[in-house]
Amino acid sequence: MIVGKQKSLEEIWDMVKDYQKVLVFGCNTCVAICHEGGNKEAEILGSLLRIKAKQENRDMEIKTGGIERQCEHEYLDQASEAVEEADVVLSLACGAGVQFLGEKFPHKTVLPGLNTTFIGVVDAPGEFSERCQMCGECILHLTGGICPIARCSKSLMNGPCGGSNNGSCEINPDIPCAWQLIHERLEAQGRGHLIDVFIPPKNWITSRAGGPRNQKREDVAT
Amino acid sequence: MQYLKTLLVKVDIDPERLEMYNLSAAMGPKWMEICTEFTERIKKLGPSPIWWAEHDHKKKESD
Amino acid sequence: MSEYKSGSNLEKVLKSGQFAFTGECGPPEGADVEHLKEKASHLKGCVDAVNVTDNQTAVARMSSWAASLILLQEGLEPNFQMVCRDRNRLAMQSDILGVYAHGIRNMLCLSGDHQRFGDHPEAKNVFDLDSMQLIYTVKSMRDEGKFLSGKEIKGRPKFFIGAACNPFAEPFALRVRRLAKKIGVGADFIQTQCIYNMDKFREFMKQVVDLGLHEKCYILAGITPMKSLGMARYMASKVPGMDVPDSLIERLKGAGKGKVAEEGIRFALEQIEELKEMPGVSGVHLMAIEWEHRVPEIAERAGMLPRPQVS
Repeated sequence: MIVGKQKSLEEIWDMVKDYQKVLVFGCNTCVAICHEGGNKEAEILGSLLRIKAKQENRDMEIKTGGIERQCEHEYLDQASEAVEEADVVLSLACGAGVQFLGEKFPHKTVLPGLNTTFIGVVDAPGEFSERCQMCGECILHLTGGICPIARCSKSLMNGPCGGSNNGSCEINPDIPCAWQLIHERLEAQGRGHLIDVFIPPKNWITSRAGGPRNQKREDVAT
Repeated sequence: MQYLKTLLVKVDIDPERLEMYNLSAAMGPKWMEICTEFTERIKKLGPSPIWWAEHDHKKKESD
Repeated sequence: MSEYKSGSNLEKVLKSGQFAFTGECGPPEGADVEHLKEKASHLKGCVDAVNVTDNQTAVARMSSWAASLILLQEGLEPNFQMVCRDRNRLAMQSDILGVYAHGIRNMLCLSGDHQRFGDHPEAKNVFDLDSMQLIYTVKSMRDEGKFLSGKEIKGRPKFFIGAACNPFAEPFALRVRRLAKKIGVGADFIQTQCIYNMDKFREFMKQVVDLGLHEKCYILAGITPMKSLGMARYMASKVPGMDVPDSLIERLKGAGKGKVAEEGIRFALEQIEELKEMPGVSGVHLMAIEWEHRVPEIAERAGMLPRPQVS
């Protein structure tokens, strides 16, 4: 899922304070799972902004709302009424959702309330970590199911480097050394020899480095 | 509650102004105790920033 | 016809079977090269080649290739270094051709410390290639005469290819296998991370010799003399992948005030004596950063002078 973190209240306030009618709009899929941008979080943020507006003596009408996902037309259609009424929309969706909402209502100012951070998993309630870098050429079959591009700080394909420190990455003890994990996993599966196999220079064309990507399913596209 | 208090701090409201108590309808004396104590607490804290904001606003309007 | 891969001085010394002795020099944090030339002057004649670091610890300095050229002008043989953190494969291949054209003959291929350690932590890193893929690239350019694209190179860069090895990082079990992998993709010589735990290093070298790796690649043992107790403690606790035995710290403590540096040098000299005789070890790489003025003395006391002249 996509993980994001709500911008600071100061930053958000700074973006919306000069508008009169503000709509705080949540997205109830990925960013709701990480408790940052869901419809519930939109209501909470709306309340905080109303308190702030009162304290700063600004006559503002702050409304809240949300839809299931901001990245699909069928849900965005439901947002029309609320969006049209507002002067500005503070979208709490991930970067894709904020943009898509903006594309649907190009005459409206749509602002990002979240900093979208990574594709990750829920390790434990309230704890999320990065797993995938969307490189477009998955090598998980060679690395025991652990991605070195996403989880090694240097994205080494023939790791570990000399800084692997007691199972942790040298830059942060909270980050496990991905190649230590790969080594242990492969050994446990009886595939330890894979670490000795040289992985040649990667083709980055399929990653973001090759340009913005798109994809079409001929059998589904109209 | 912890979380709510952190949110209050973000809008410059003293988290001491918010508290949750659990009691049943039959606990009259306890209820009186809590009310008294909490009123004291708030009296000590004085008007909230929201009161001040509205107060200043009304004052400006009447000036 | 030369049987050498590069014909560099370092290669010639190693190939002749003599014990090699290399040094290290950091480029300046500015365009002023006076201090660099001064450091070089101390090293001249004491070492077979000098490592020139590449934005070491991710701190911006004059690039390795530029400082290497200056060292070349000063009459030393540089070990040009390239890290994978700052350049993509295009920039790497073009720099490889450029420095070769200017007379550089030794090249070390390293991953590079993560930029979060350095003075530009907000920078975007590259890591288009990793160190192993870089070794592979230089070897392809040298031996097959091809760019990574497959296109033919007119005028091959014939480098003596080096890499780094850290026998002390975890997991220990992987360290020899990783060394074998680097040699497999084309490393001609290896410099290890600085050694303080001689027991562990002996064990490591035994595995290396058992696998016959020392016959395919020259291994130089890294030595950094401890200048102070503070340095020893710092290395022991703050530097990832560094193994400093308590016994060494005790020894340095016992030396007494003002005498720690000398004790550190004495320890280094004892290490060098043992390394000269250790099977599989072809030389020593002395890292005396910002202590270059002590290198002539250390080289003398270690019996490294005069350096061999191989024609």
